[in-house]
Amino acid sequence: MYGGGYIGEPEKNQPQVQDDPEKLAEFEAKIDRGEKIEPQDWMPADYRKQLIRMIEQHAHSEIIGALPEGTFITRAPGFKRKMALMAKVQDEIGHGQMLYSAAETLGKTREQMFSDLLSGKSKYSNVFNYPAETWADVTIVGFLIDAAAIVNQVINSKGSYGPYCRALERICYEEAFHLKQGHDAFVSLAAGTPMQRKMAQDGLNRWWEPIMHFFGPSDKISVHSERLMRWKVKLASNDDMRQQFLNTYVPKVWEIGMTLPDPNLRKNPETKQWEFTEPNWDTFFKVINGGGPCNKERLAVRKWAEEKGRWVRQALTNPKEKYTVPFA
Amino acid sequence: MSNPEYTNAVKEFLYKMADDQLIIGHRNSEWTGIGPILEEDIAFGSIAQDKVGHAYNIYQLLHEMGEADPDTIAFQRDEKDFKCCHLVELPIGEYDFSLVRHFLFDHAELLRFEMLSNSSFEPLANLAKKFKGEIKYHVFHANTWIKQLMNGTEESKARIQSSFNSVFPIAFSIFEKSPLEDVLISEGVFEGEEILTNKWLETIRTIVNSCGVKLPDVPDKSIGYGGRKGYHTEYLNPLLLEMTEVLRSEPGAEW
Amino acid sequence: MKIISLDPRIARLSDLPEESETVIVEHEEGWITFEVFHQKKKGTRHTHVGIVHAPNAEMAIVFAKESFARRGPTTNLWVVKSEDVVATDYDDSDIFDTTPDKQYREAGFYKTRNKIDLLKDSEAHE
Repeated sequence: MYGGGYIGEPEKNQPQVQDDPEKLAEFEAKIDRGEKIEPQDWMPADYRKQLIRMIEQHAHSEIIGALPEGTFITRAPGFKRKMALMAKVQDEIGHGQMLYSAAETLGKTREQMFSDLLSGKSKYSNVFNYPAETWADVTIVGFLIDAAAIVNQVINSKGSYGPYCRALERICYEEAFHLKQGHDAFVSLAAGTPMQRKMAQDGLNRWWEPIMHFFGPSDKISVHSERLMRWKVKLASNDDMRQQFLNTYVPKVWEIGMTLPDPNLRKNPETKQWEFTEPNWDTFFKVINGGGPCNKERLAVRKWAEEKGRWVRQALTNPKEKYTVPFA
Repeated sequence: MSNPEYTNAVKEFLYKMADDQLIIGHRNSEWTGIGPILEEDIAFGSIAQDKVGHAYNIYQLLHEMGEADPDTIAFQRDEKDFKCCHLVELPIGEYDFSLVRHFLFDHAELLRFEMLSNSSFEPLANLAKKFKGEIKYHVFHANTWIKQLMNGTEESKARIQSSFNSVFPIAFSIFEKSPLEDVLISEGVFEGEEILTNKWLETIRTIVNSCGVKLPDVPDKSIGYGGRKGYHTEYLNPLLLEMTEVLRSEPGAEW
Repeated sequence: MKIISLDPRIARLSDLPEESETVIVEHEEGWITFEVFHQKKKGTRHTHVGIVHAPNAEMAIVFAKESFARRGPTTNLWVVKSEDVVATDYDDSDIFDTTPDKQYREAGFYKTRNKIDLLKDSEAHE
């Protein structure tokens, strides 16, 4: 799963690369015709750079995303939940693997991506910097956060870059089960004992702000984001995706008698747009820059995994083998 | 042969098999998300799921024989009522430990289920046939890793050898006989732990010799015994408390 | 700084690194890649499904099984080192351009029925 709110580089840091104007025109015409770009195609330098950044962030989000729910892997109540959670968390690692592969086709090595994650240079979705405190949290992550990720992934699967689209198709297919098992487990709590209902409601109250942060702040109309849209790297505004999410999933929360901690949350019957209290974006930026409850833990665990696994990887490395950038 | 004794012998046998699978599956699932490399994280996670699935199937068979449902059996028994062996209870350690345990345990499982595919107790023979493909992969996975790490660096060879030194003696706890084993043998349900042990030793020795592992001498093969009679290591109770934490927080609730 | 995790598995891990500790993953540790081809059932074609990082082909098969055959039916897998795949260049995709024009290679190009009808008509008029 992935959190939107893709963290782009501040515009002032972007160098102006002069691409060959004829090739650029041809490239843009291809995209307008709905054709896919493959790894060996000519592409503008910025297209390559932005895609690497975006796919890499998505990949990191998957493997870091495995950690909050992983909190309850050894504590899931009963066989059905235990096996579903084991499968789901394993899928997140699998999605990470597929996404790193897609990013690799653009020329950045997987190892460089890992190193950038561990140093803090590369980001991942903010929502995973929060702790899963109870079993209800696990169900909420599986239900609402996977739902948000699906909104994002379905939209992005129509993008222009072949390898990313192919990875996303497969991810969307597996994600359907994630959403179902999360929703099912959440509904069980809502339909359960008073203690279970309270656990579910408490979880919703705590997670609502991170969920509202998920798609990122309202998009500024800029030359930069306009170009990413034209290149079908960015396919919908953060606001549109957020509306889509709210429209599908808020009713599902309300239909089982759960509330959300925003008195202004409602669908305007005339505009058909969802209205809500604007989330605190200062908090969002504070967390993404290291100030969240779990940032340190997430990276410490990944560092541990890389360090502890080093002897395994080194044991089987064959210096005679030559790495090539994968194909597709 | 009195029927209750036969039934008890079979149930006792099923409990120990299922408990082994559940506990080792649970242990192996602790590596999900923190494995040494993504692809292996995915593979080891699948193997863990398969084991928990096997446990579920066997508990389901016990339920059909009159025992409680699988969730109740797995999540509501006391430590002393579990019949898993000491080997599977031990913490995950580092990756060499977990791999060597996986190698030793899964070979025993493969051979055990091969023997059981001819069991006179048909439901068990059917389960054995059903699990065959998955266990074949588990053993293929384990063999590949052990062979390759023993052909790796000085560090990987030293680690694997060291793990065999510590794990191999406890591995014999898999073969502790259940109290009613003679009934299983005489009724053709299972040929017995002794035959299984010998097959296992032969298989293991061939593989480890070919890749340079030296198996330690084990003068007392019963040092890890006790599990089949409900006497466990200090590690099982904390594991069970953790595993059942959420379920116990609201007894009787649906999750 | 000791990290207190809510995840008991993590809490059990000894020696979680400090925040200041730098961990770099070297390129050599990452192994080469293998392209994976997957066959759903006998009689169908193998299709390319992605890559695995692996030190050699045997490990690649072990990994491919769970990376790409976790869901849905599978009957067979192939793995090929990425460096062994030889491909045409997209810049040369114009070599395929006129293929759709070669209608004489398609069954539908041959309107023989028309000729037969004309022949029958002329025989009838004789």
